[in-house]
Amino acid sequence: MRMNWLSKGLLVGLTLAATSAFAADYPSKDVHIIVPFKPGGGVDTTSRILAEYGNKHMTKGKLEVENRAGGGGIVGQTFVAKAKADGYTVLAMTSSVVTNPVLKETAYKISDFKPVALYNMDPEVIVVGAESPFKTIADLVKASKDHPLTVTVAGIATSHHMAGLALEDAAGLKFSYIPTKGFGAQLQAVMGGHVEMGLFPLGEIKKHADAGTVRILAVASDKPMEILPGVPTWQDSGLKIKRWTTFRGWAVPKGTPDAAVKYLSELLGKINADPAYVKQMTDYGFPLAYADAKGFTEVVDDYAAITDKVIKDHGLKEQK
Amino acid sequence: MTEVALGFATLMDPAVLGFLIIGIVAGLIVGSIPGLNDNIAFAIFIPLSFSLSPTYALALMVGLYCACAIGGSIPAIMVKVPGTASSVLTAIDGHAMARSGRAGQALGIAISSSVFGGITSSLILLLFAPPMAAFALRFGYVENFSLGILGMASVIGLLGGSVIKGLLSAVLGLLVATIGFSQQTGFPRYTFGVDNLYEGVPFVPLLVGLFGITAVLELSEELIRDRRRGLAPRDMPRITDSLFIDWSMTKRLLPSWLQCSLIGNVIGIIPGAGMLMAIYMGYERISHRYKRLFAGKPGEPAWGEGAPEGIAAPESANNAVVASSMVPLLSLGIPGNSVSALFIGALMIQGMVPGPLLFLDHPDVAWMIIVAFLVANVLMWPISFALVRTISGLVFRLPKYVLVPTISLLCLTGAYSDENSVFSIGVAIVAGIVGYVTRRLGIPHAPLILALVLGRTIEDNLDNALNISAGSWGIFVDPIEHPISLVLILGAAAFMLGPIVTGSRKRYQARRRRAEMEVQS
Repeated sequence: MRMNWLSKGLLVGLTLAATSAFAADYPSKDVHIIVPFKPGGGVDTTSRILAEYGNKHMTKGKLEVENRAGGGGIVGQTFVAKAKADGYTVLAMTSSVVTNPVLKETAYKISDFKPVALYNMDPEVIVVGAESPFKTIADLVKASKDHPLTVTVAGIATSHHMAGLALEDAAGLKFSYIPTKGFGAQLQAVMGGHVEMGLFPLGEIKKHADAGTVRILAVASDKPMEILPGVPTWQDSGLKIKRWTTFRGWAVPKGTPDAAVKYLSELLGKINADPAYVKQMTDYGFPLAYADAKGFTEVVDDYAAITDKVIKDHGLKEQK
Repeated sequence: MTEVALGFATLMDPAVLGFLIIGIVAGLIVGSIPGLNDNIAFAIFIPLSFSLSPTYALALMVGLYCACAIGGSIPAIMVKVPGTASSVLTAIDGHAMARSGRAGQALGIAISSSVFGGITSSLILLLFAPPMAAFALRFGYVENFSLGILGMASVIGLLGGSVIKGLLSAVLGLLVATIGFSQQTGFPRYTFGVDNLYEGVPFVPLLVGLFGITAVLELSEELIRDRRRGLAPRDMPRITDSLFIDWSMTKRLLPSWLQCSLIGNVIGIIPGAGMLMAIYMGYERISHRYKRLFAGKPGEPAWGEGAPEGIAAPESANNAVVASSMVPLLSLGIPGNSVSALFIGALMIQGMVPGPLLFLDHPDVAWMIIVAFLVANVLMWPISFALVRTISGLVFRLPKYVLVPTISLLCLTGAYSDENSVFSIGVAIVAGIVGYVTRRLGIPHAPLILALVLGRTIEDNLDNALNISAGSWGIFVDPIEHPISLVLILGAAAFMLGPIVTGSRKRYQARRRRAEMEVQS
């Protein structure tokens, strides 16, 4: 009994010592940010911008972006879920980490990750071509009474497709989905008038709306956005959805020491306060949103709750 | 005109011009290494471009993009291993020509054809981008489906000796193209639970295997055969003749260049069509011309056995795709193909977005890119001629038993670097073995590759077109709403029926002649 007590005490003491040594030391080598997609896309580029600014604050070791593409993100996400929980492997976490394990047979669960911090939240927007007869959401609702509207989304069972399903449920709209591979193909369909509307994350379409080649009819943010003058929210347009956003942030394998999570979370906070970083991200059109580990966890849980409902109601889960 | 002058002035900064030239040289080298291509080079380069000024980074990328296809034709001609996918057809006649002691001429034709195609393409980008972009926008799901069918119809011209084997090859390609998640349902098919197959069989390793590993296996076979017979390993062809092509050859190739440049430019402008489709369509068209005008004449080899047009057609077509694929990107912000899509990443890192706004916010950068394509294509001509001997000598004069493992290693490294995954190495090896076995069985590869490229496009666009028409197939031949589609479908029908009509007419004539002879006797 006594030995047991002693050994327990020793263990606790050792763990504490190890943790404090870890805290003093971390990061003592390169931290790898795993991007589960090929280079060149939104997640990859924002991760590289973060690494560029983050490295100004790193003394020992650097942030290194590493691409592990394949499986629509699942290959890289699984890689991080199974990685050593030492704070040196970080996942560039996107909304699909939440929905993939629900939709498909993945080797990881959402609980295998510990959210670190959030840096970008993209509200969903309803977009039509510059030449479209639809000027307002009311026009769309009216047309939808006549026939299902053709709407292009970046793939079935993505966050964007689910946004459409949620709109059908909440606002009584009728859609015919036209899934495409990637935002470029979607843009082609909307601009060329091959579909009646598109559902996009704001960051991917903002600059094209600025150029006047497409029009944004409504945005799924809590309140109207300053960068989108004259564009109402979904809620205010009568669509009865308060918010629909995809997010980007960092996550680590569960069991990663709190000290490392805290370090990375604060690092992202420091980057977010850098005016040059803010300018570069907003120039491109990525809406910035910083939240620490706690705030990010809430965002993730919130997103899981609304998407779980859509997946269940519409039977999106892979049938085995 | 002032904008063009601004772009030109930006480009003429010695440092910017220097980066353009570095890009061209790098493109020649990257292209000539089997397993490496412009896609992989950009993926490595873009992250490094952070600290570079945007004009430097973009000038380098333009140079590399333009020169890569030329680089690819060097190993295709010298060792029959295509350096890039764009030179897969060049390898056929190019290598045959090199074996007959005219390696210099083969390379000279490849370079001149590429430069010709590239210049037409950059002129279109410079002069006609806005109207061409408007044309590109007219391609929706319906038009893209019909274009895919037209592309598949050109398989008829690529069947080679046996129709059955050729069609078998095309069907194999279509079947492999169905692996991966279905766009309509979002669920995986034929992936057997392997996550790496979720987005389909990874394409770059697949091509590296089919081209590179297959060629390596064939080289090894030759090596072993020679050794068994006690022969010394044969040398690879060397450049013994002049690289420069004379005026009569230029005049002879000009119609082929024009036709293939036209095909390349149209395909390049349409988002999502891609370079491989252009080279196959050009090659198919020109094969008819060659058979009609030159085949069977003294000194003219059979098609596929060293015909100059067999090099000129794919090489002018592939470079004609390069600058024109930037038309939709720069005018509309829509990437024309996977390589021009990477320009988005390079611009994004600098906080810029391609599209009409780029011309307002950063006119110097936007016009510099456009002018750089023209200048790169012009500079490419002397640079390629100056370097081609060195590049082909550097690696490819190695003895075969060194060359074989070197190429294998390069191919497998390239396959790995596509997704940083070991799975891709497996894909390349399996594809290489399948490629070797099918070729031993006399199954041509061209239909297979075309089907691999087009299978998914055709399926996805078919589904979406039918979604839009609520299931009506009439949408593809609707003369009012979709005239482009109607024309493409009619073209495809002509491609397919053509050989049958000519075949039966020939047979009919032969029968009549026989009957007449019988009457006379």
